[in-house]
Amino acid sequence: MRQLQRTRAARQLNMSSAVLALSVLADSAVEHYRGSFQNRAMYTPLGIATLTLAASILGALDARPRRHAARDGIYAAAALTGLVGLGFHAYNIGKRPGGLSWLNLFYAAPIGAPAALVLAGLLGRSAETARHLGSERRGSSRATWHARMSSSSNPPLASGRVLAGISAVGLAGTAAEAALMHFRGAFHNPAMIAPVSVPPVAATLLGAAAVTGHRNMSRWARWWLKLTALLGFAGVGFHIYGVSRNMGGWRNWSQNVLNGPPLPAPPSFTGLALSGLAALDRMDEQTPRRGRR
Amino acid sequence: MSPQRAPQASGPAAQSHTGRPAVSPRYPGYDVLAKRDSPSWNAQTRRVIDQRLAVGPDTHHFFCDEEWPTVRAVCDRVIPQAQDKQGRVPIAALLDEQLRRSPTEGYRDARLPPMTEAWKQALRALDVESLNSHGHRFHELDAVRQDALLRRVQLGDVHDAAWEGLPAKIFFEDRVLHDITRLYYGHPTAWNEIGFGGPAAPRGYVRMDFDRRDPWEASEARPGREEQARKENARVG
Repeated sequence: MRQLQRTRAARQLNMSSAVLALSVLADSAVEHYRGSFQNRAMYTPLGIATLTLAASILGALDARPRRHAARDGIYAAAALTGLVGLGFHAYNIGKRPGGLSWLNLFYAAPIGAPAALVLAGLLGRSAETARHLGSERRGSSRATWHARMSSSSNPPLASGRVLAGISAVGLAGTAAEAALMHFRGAFHNPAMIAPVSVPPVAATLLGAAAVTGHRNMSRWARWWLKLTALLGFAGVGFHIYGVSRNMGGWRNWSQNVLNGPPLPAPPSFTGLALSGLAALDRMDEQTPRRGRR
Repeated sequence: MSPQRAPQASGPAAQSHTGRPAVSPRYPGYDVLAKRDSPSWNAQTRRVIDQRLAVGPDTHHFFCDEEWPTVRAVCDRVIPQAQDKQGRVPIAALLDEQLRRSPTEGYRDARLPPMTEAWKQALRALDVESLNSHGHRFHELDAVRQDALLRRVQLGDVHDAAWEGLPAKIFFEDRVLHDITRLYYGHPTAWNEIGFGGPAAPRGYVRMDFDRRDPWEASEARPGREEQARKENARVG
């Protein structure tokens, strides 16, 4: 039970990595199938996202306070694949007539999508790092634990504030992509405003909490992050409705799932909100409460 | 004026059931009607296409028996089709059907009479012009003479009083070319020839980039990939 407690934050991070990986897997499978796997490299995110998903689920169930080398390796590969993917997508946009134009940003390879894989990898790595430090924590006094956590020799991914920063940037980027796509869709449904208004607030508060370390700020951030997490679920519902509104509805799924709003996209918000919440937990753990101790 | 059309393919590429639209050599094995019962078409689309296919080559209610051979001859010269072509498009009968069912498009060139009157008057005038020049009605002329006379209509070089109030040149552009080509390319046989998928209702297309193909689209037999195209066309449904 104590082990469960100790690795709670790490497993929470594995969980958010799992949500992101699932989103990437489903989204890239659908969109790259639509792109007829024209470039062989388009199979890569499917493979790596599947591995990341599997590693993350196993990680979320694994209460042992030990870094898992294979999982850590998979996460590193995922982050690297995401980075390479960003390059490929930028290349795809650039090679089209018009180059970096609104048309190509709307209809070529989505510029920000592979970033979700980078984030899944980073969150996963931070989960494994958290376990690693958890194991060192055994046998040491609370005081040395805190000293170690705040010392500069710790890997940056172990820091709650760094993690909060990554989550905040990820949320802002995902909101920017939603803004681009929902602008393309002319915000025809008022609900389309939600993902471009709630997550940016959450990202700003989370970023501010990361920078200032203020408890007050993190309380507000928590609130908005929970709302963002819910929004990710609700978004899938709205997108299911969006598909049904296309001509032929769900009976014409082979057209509308590809052409309608992407079903796997909104859960990215949930994944990042969960990692933001985990980051705030870590920050609380890492900041000694003065006066109480 | 009369486009020279490639001779209809014979041999394996043109295999098709009698009465079914012909199959094009450029899109081997492609039959747009394979999409009929697939998610590509819905009841409304099926109804419209079925109506179009049900029009027999000699069905005419709008044109009288006098006008009928003339309009058929005009259609045959503007878009010639081999006599033994499978799934031959009954252009004249489709025109008759259209003029009978919906006698107006909702707009017209104000210099022309309404569509129905324009066609009747033009066919009459064409026969008069033909009798004046050759002593025979239009449909009795050989193809070369028919083409020459149609060319005069196209240039506006016809002067009989029968053309009164009907500018021949505008009629040729707005009605002859417009109606005949539109009706021809509204028929599944023409769709098979050009690899068109028919109405995108309800299923449209999702691979919009250049040179990409949805699995329910016709596959073109570019040199060296004829067999590949045939296989893909067998699965367009």
